[in-house]
Amino acid sequence: MSAVVQAEGLCRHFGGDGVPVRAVDGVDLVVEQGEAVSIMGPSGCGKSTLLHLLGGLERPDAGTLRLGDQRVDGMSEASWARLRRRMIGFVFQAFHLVDELTAVENVELPALLVGTSRRAARRRAIELLERLGVADRAGHLPDRLSGGQLQRVALARALINEPLVVLADEPTGNLDSHATNEILRLFAELRDTQQTLVLVTHDPRVAATAERLMTMRDGTIVDDIRLDGGPSRQAVLRQLAGWEA
Amino acid sequence: MREAMLALLAKEPAHGYELRQRLALALGVVGEVLNPGQVYVTLSRLEGAGLVRGVQVAQSAAPDKKVYEVTAAGRDVVAAWLLDSSWPKVAPVEFHLKLVAAAGTGLADPVALIDAQRRELLRRLREVQRLIESHPAGDEDDGVLLLEGSALRLQADIRWLEAYEQRWTGRTR
Amino acid sequence: MGVGRLIIGLAWRNLRHRPWQALLLLLALSLSTTAITVALTLTEIGNRAWDRASQATNGFHVAASTEIPPDSSPAQRKQVRADLASLGSAPGVVAAGGPWRTAQVVGEIDGAEIRLRVEVRDVDPAAVDQPLVTAGQWLDSRQGVVLEDGLAAAAGLQPGDTITIAGQHLPARGSALTVSAKPYPMEQPATVWISPATATRLAAALDGGAYKIYLRLSDPAQAESFAAAHPEVDEHPWQDRKSESAVDLQELAAMLATLAAFVVGLTIATAAILVAGRMAAQIRQVGTLKAVGVTPGQVTGVLLVEYLTVALLATTVGLAAGTLLAPPLARLTRPLSVYGAQTPPITLSRAAIVVAVATSVVLLATVRPALRGVRRSTLHSLGSNTRPPRRAGRLIRALARLPLPLPIGLGLRAATRRPGRFIATTFGLTIGIALVIAGLALRTGVQTVHRQGLSRIAVAAHDPDPISLAATTANLDRLSTLGFTIAAFLIGLAVINAIIAAVFSAHDSARNHAILRTLGATPGQTVTAFLIAQLAACLLACAIGIPLGMALYSAIRAQTLDPIELTPLTYIATSLTTLLLYAMIALSPARLLARRPITQQLAYE
Repeated sequence: MSAVVQAEGLCRHFGGDGVPVRAVDGVDLVVEQGEAVSIMGPSGCGKSTLLHLLGGLERPDAGTLRLGDQRVDGMSEASWARLRRRMIGFVFQAFHLVDELTAVENVELPALLVGTSRRAARRRAIELLERLGVADRAGHLPDRLSGGQLQRVALARALINEPLVVLADEPTGNLDSHATNEILRLFAELRDTQQTLVLVTHDPRVAATAERLMTMRDGTIVDDIRLDGGPSRQAVLRQLAGWEA
Repeated sequence: MREAMLALLAKEPAHGYELRQRLALALGVVGEVLNPGQVYVTLSRLEGAGLVRGVQVAQSAAPDKKVYEVTAAGRDVVAAWLLDSSWPKVAPVEFHLKLVAAAGTGLADPVALIDAQRRELLRRLREVQRLIESHPAGDEDDGVLLLEGSALRLQADIRWLEAYEQRWTGRTR
Repeated sequence: MGVGRLIIGLAWRNLRHRPWQALLLLLALSLSTTAITVALTLTEIGNRAWDRASQATNGFHVAASTEIPPDSSPAQRKQVRADLASLGSAPGVVAAGGPWRTAQVVGEIDGAEIRLRVEVRDVDPAAVDQPLVTAGQWLDSRQGVVLEDGLAAAAGLQPGDTITIAGQHLPARGSALTVSAKPYPMEQPATVWISPATATRLAAALDGGAYKIYLRLSDPAQAESFAAAHPEVDEHPWQDRKSESAVDLQELAAMLATLAAFVVGLTIATAAILVAGRMAAQIRQVGTLKAVGVTPGQVTGVLLVEYLTVALLATTVGLAAGTLLAPPLARLTRPLSVYGAQTPPITLSRAAIVVAVATSVVLLATVRPALRGVRRSTLHSLGSNTRPPRRAGRLIRALARLPLPLPIGLGLRAATRRPGRFIATTFGLTIGIALVIAGLALRTGVQTVHRQGLSRIAVAAHDPDPISLAATTANLDRLSTLGFTIAAFLIGLAVINAIIAAVFSAHDSARNHAILRTLGATPGQTVTAFLIAQLAACLLACAIGIPLGMALYSAIRAQTLDPIELTPLTYIATSLTTLLLYAMIALSPARLLARRPITQQLAYE
């Protein structure tokens, strides 16, 4: 299994007058192909910034970053753009869909950017929307969609180019509990496709969909544990029954 | 469990096996771990307390079976149970005391305790969620809701632990 | 009353907080009000000038002339004169000037041959139509010619210069104005007055001709009926003279009014963009106000007070500036360079019109966004940063089916989501292009006149002599310079409008471009997409602006210039230049925004 993401000593400081803020302060991170990793931590710990660094939305002040077998930390904005197209799918808390485009048009955008033909892009977009259960909303504009539907469209958009890694930043942050359950289910399904996934969240339920959990505090990773190998099914059920009795 | 069984019998008298089935249905997947023996033991205890009455019913093609029906006293218990709005313990007082003890005696690092407990809960949460997943989507049977309720509880408890962690790490710095 | 003070206080604070936008709006609006004031004032200036001249010269109400048969004996001439003079005692007549001898002669000024209309006048002031001396002196007992003021100006003759009439060299004693004839070269042949001594010297040339008498009536309004009653009387009484002398002025007023309309249009476009751009901040303020219990009506009050203050200021500036500017502009016309133009007082009706225009411009531009902001729910206003795009209409769904390349499709769709902005941008660009085309056509027209002389119509009407040709051309140059100046100014305003539109559009599309960049579009791609969308507006503006420009030219060329056909190359060159220029204007904000870090841009959500 090859490493999809390899970061060493990543640093990102925000200047500002006075004391500089060390948002990410020397992070080492390796994510293997097919892994799902959650990153949790109190607000202000730098987990979102770390995700932005992994996706090239911000440049590190120090450290190295590799995506696949490519060294990316020194790349120009244009090179990053070309790489991001093919290799990275982003899912944001605020969805960030283009308001003027319909759902399916939003989804096919990355495909068009890499040069897929319009027809092929449209076909793939519809397939993804069907897989995620929002095909009936394909022709609608974002202002007609609910939060859960919007995030599913965003997820479809992130997946359309079969990216190396999907980076999700608080994907359930703007969703109600029902929509959150939908997304939880989707992420679980995503695991079955061996899609590499890095999830930043403060919701334990979202974090628990991954099998590996990192905790960040003050810009560094303080904990990196595996979540599988927990209590067995029987043990859990017994505990549940015991609670309610 | 006692009052629930009484209530199920109050709806309609049943024999032991039927009662077990009704319970399993109501609990969904959790019902898998229901101890069959436990049902019969509880039934005889209820009979002893005078809350149910066992009646022998003759069957044509099978040996006699004992059908249990609820007594007047039993109905009273059920009514009181249904109207009772007390809620099972939410805050784990014990864990809280554990932390205080650890800090006081110096026998363990409170933050490490919290971390360990949090990890455990997260793993448990992961399993509960996998159980929920294995239900087909959109299934409205009550068992799934029970599982989701557990997940939400675990989520709340994990958040509570995180709040603890913030407080305690500030203290030990 | 507390609410009233609150509203005014908030409005004042808003204006002080963002002075640039308010100032820009004030500038544009003031130009509109000034232009309108000038256009409205010009006619009045003309009327007043004519009235003043008429008063100063004891102007005529009706005139009558009788031809003298050629080879008449002195006695016959005397009879003709006496018959004409009897009109002076006709009922309704209060005063008479003349009858005086008139004749058509050929003269020469600085070597140029020119036809002249000579009138033999007395040294003593006449009771009716005593020309007002503008340079030098009136006739005296010596030889002498007094020139009509227009002729003196056109020929450049000063008192003391020599003018040749019928071969005789005569001294020019001065120049004077009259209302009985239009100023040269409007009226040809030009009028000159000669002393009796000179008349004797030119006796042979004056043979034939006519006697003319000028009458003043007790009731000037009856001039037409008087003229109908008496056959010798010229059927064009003083009212006709007055309105004819105003023709030039009316043409100028019409040209200025047309340009004023363009200025108003530009102002609306600029104001609409500025106001819509401010709505982002206003909407939050609206939401805050509503949240603390201020009613929607009061909220609208704040916005209206702000913008109407600007409108009122602009009205004041416009009325003052326009009234002051109008006389010098009026003097560009031939009659008024002769009659003089004075600053008229500001009338209530004029002020009312200007106020109405300024207010409606402001209301047109601001009420719609203001009302929309007021109607939105409070929470929505507090939460959002900008007005969200409108829901998709049929147009968008139709557009969605067109297989356009992504940048164009995205840009067009963004444009249709904010139609007000798109229309305002296109409108501004259209006006700019129209002015450029009109200016080019005007320049070609003027150049043609210089090369070939006046239009055939003008030539047919006057059969001009060299001096009048020179004078008319000079006049044309003055007016066209005025036209170019105004046009250049307006083009400058259009450029400002374009810059504003480009900046606001760039801000609007910044979010989408940040999103595209997270998906892997390079900054170069997003900037290109933005530019292409902007240029769509530009293309549309060219398509409408070019014919509009030609129409504008037709409207202002009047009779003086020929219709001009600009070459297709000119149109193409203009379009390309505009596209390039607008691309450059739009490039800067686009690139600046493309350089902003993605996360910072998206964090504005």
